[in-house]
Amino acid sequence: MSEPAIRISAMNKFYGTFHALHDVDLEIARGEKVVICGPSGSGKSTLIRCINRLEEHQAGEIEVNGTPLDDNLDHIDEIRRDAGMVFQNFNLFPHMTVLENCTLAPVLSGRLNRAEAEKTAMRLLERVKIPEQAHKYPGELSGGQQQRVAIARALCMSPQIMLFDEPTSALDPEMISEVLDVMVGLAEEGMTMVCVTHEMGFARRVADRVIFMAEGRIIEQGPPDQFFDNPQNDRTKAFLSQIVGH
Amino acid sequence: MTHVIPASVPQPSFAEAIKGRYFSTRRDTIVSLVFAAIAIWLGWSLVNWALVNATFGAGQGDVCRENMHGGACWSVVSARWRIVLFGLYPFEEQWRSGLACAIMVIVAILSCVPWFWSPRRLPVLWVAGFAAFYILMRGGLFGLPEVTEQNWGGLALTVFIFAAVVLLGMPLAIVFALLRRSELPWIANTMALVIDTIRSLPLLSIMFTFAIVLPFVLPGWAIGDKLYRVIAGYALFFACYQAEIIRGGMQALPNGQEEAAKALGMTYWQRIGYIILPQAFRNALPPTINQIVITFKETSLVTIIGFFDVMASGRAASGTAEWNFATIEMYVFVGLIFFVFVFSLSRYGAYLERRLRVGTR
Ligand SMILES: Nc1ncnc2c1ncn2[C@@H]1O[C@H](COP(=O)(O)OP(=O)(O)O)[C@@H](O)[C@H]1O
Ligand SMILES: [Mg+2]
Repeated sequence: MSEPAIRISAMNKFYGTFHALHDVDLEIARGEKVVICGPSGSGKSTLIRCINRLEEHQAGEIEVNGTPLDDNLDHIDEIRRDAGMVFQNFNLFPHMTVLENCTLAPVLSGRLNRAEAEKTAMRLLERVKIPEQAHKYPGELSGGQQQRVAIARALCMSPQIMLFDEPTSALDPEMISEVLDVMVGLAEEGMTMVCVTHEMGFARRVADRVIFMAEGRIIEQGPPDQFFDNPQNDRTKAFLSQIVGH
Repeated sequence: MTHVIPASVPQPSFAEAIKGRYFSTRRDTIVSLVFAAIAIWLGWSLVNWALVNATFGAGQGDVCRENMHGGACWSVVSARWRIVLFGLYPFEEQWRSGLACAIMVIVAILSCVPWFWSPRRLPVLWVAGFAAFYILMRGGLFGLPEVTEQNWGGLALTVFIFAAVVLLGMPLAIVFALLRRSELPWIANTMALVIDTIRSLPLLSIMFTFAIVLPFVLPGWAIGDKLYRVIAGYALFFACYQAEIIRGGMQALPNGQEEAAKALGMTYWQRIGYIILPQAFRNALPPTINQIVITFKETSLVTIIGFFDVMASGRAASGTAEWNFATIEMYVFVGLIFFVFVFSLSRYGAYLERRLRVGTR
């Protein structure tokens, strides 16, 4: 149990010649909930997309559940199975029903047969409170509903870690809380979560640690109370005052 | 100039709509009347020629010849339709050729049934239908006498070439499109060069090359029948156009689709087969149907390399001394056959488009 869920050390990421992440060190324990915030373009998405190899890092090491993230395709597959991801734009498959969205990956990976997968999917759709939409297409749902389906779809692979990249940023204000409620529920069940978000209420409520990034670096981190009430770094202060101000 | 819009605009009646559209001014009225007169005259002449003054019945060739006051002589069709449909296929075996065509038509109709729309069922249906077609036509199995490709002809040959080209060309197009977007630049660039080169050549020159030049270049065992070389060349040509169409459909997809599939741990081929291609084909449906229609029509080019397709058969059917005055009627008949196929194809395309839109709102 001492092994961390995610271990990142001296990781550097370049887009061409652009240095997007500088020497990032980060350890996330099992069951820990980490919220990442920071100004736009600071590398938050890049950081969590490196964890499941949607982006390739150029230097340093990443380990997920003890599996090193390298060019070995088996390792990449294993890490992607361990870590579910939820995107800002939901990215549901528009040509499949909600249920098919949820069952596709578990069936294709051979993890479940169709009947089991459907049962699991229905259970998870109930958990995100939209079982009645199972046979609709994503285009027929509201943004909040789509994002909840996206969460259920990721959970169908029984991940041990969930990565969220601004899951509520594309939502109308009245739908944000229905998604956050689901995420709070997940947190309470002990899921390891890494969540890029500017929902500070959510951060205060569930985060064990808040991380502030700017210009590809981790600038400051700490428990939410300390982070919000007593930030040390000037950039953090400036950022927080902006967020609160609006 | 204030204008009060009534709460509910009354729908104009049919007569009012006609009046508003065609007779609202004096000039409109004159133009409408002139064109109406021309249209009626053309229509009347056509009906006179095609029906009123026409001669029907297979044995009426002589009647046609003497009694030529401008009417059509459909007798040529009644007498010679077998040549148009079956070419030089042996007379007693022509039912096989007819059945084979019917099977392909049934396969086409079955592929309208949504149950078949899965990455596995649709290819299985088409491959099975095509195999049945081939076995029926070629024979040599199940007690069917063998009829070699040299004796195939007419509509059956056209359908065979068309189906073979699409069946070979479509998977090839998918492979080309995937190679064209490979992450390795040398693969992508080579593929782009090949596609652009072949697309810039006329189809006819490709057919000639495959039919006539290739045998000098290839080793003996690889030459094969001329028919199959032409099909291979045509399929390559089709694949290059279709590859660009598919690539266009892929480019319209947001990156997030592939990323979501990756994040779910799907392998490259799973992502291609279940996420990328189904959506790319939806996006690219109108140009794909268009490409398929063009491919069907252009099968008639094989006449020039000496195949007896439905066009050539039509010409031959009215080419004898007995029927040489009835060329137009023969072409009308062949044109009708093309029309039925092409028109149903485009209606099918329109239906698919409407049907698929449901899932992609
Ligand atoms: N695919 C890409 N190619 C080039 N530059 C990129 C790419 N993705 C992100 N970047 C750049 O990397 C930096 C960090 O981006 P990102 O991680 O998306 O920031 P954040 O999520 O914090 O807003 C930005 O300057 C952005 O322009
Ligand atoms: Mg981002």
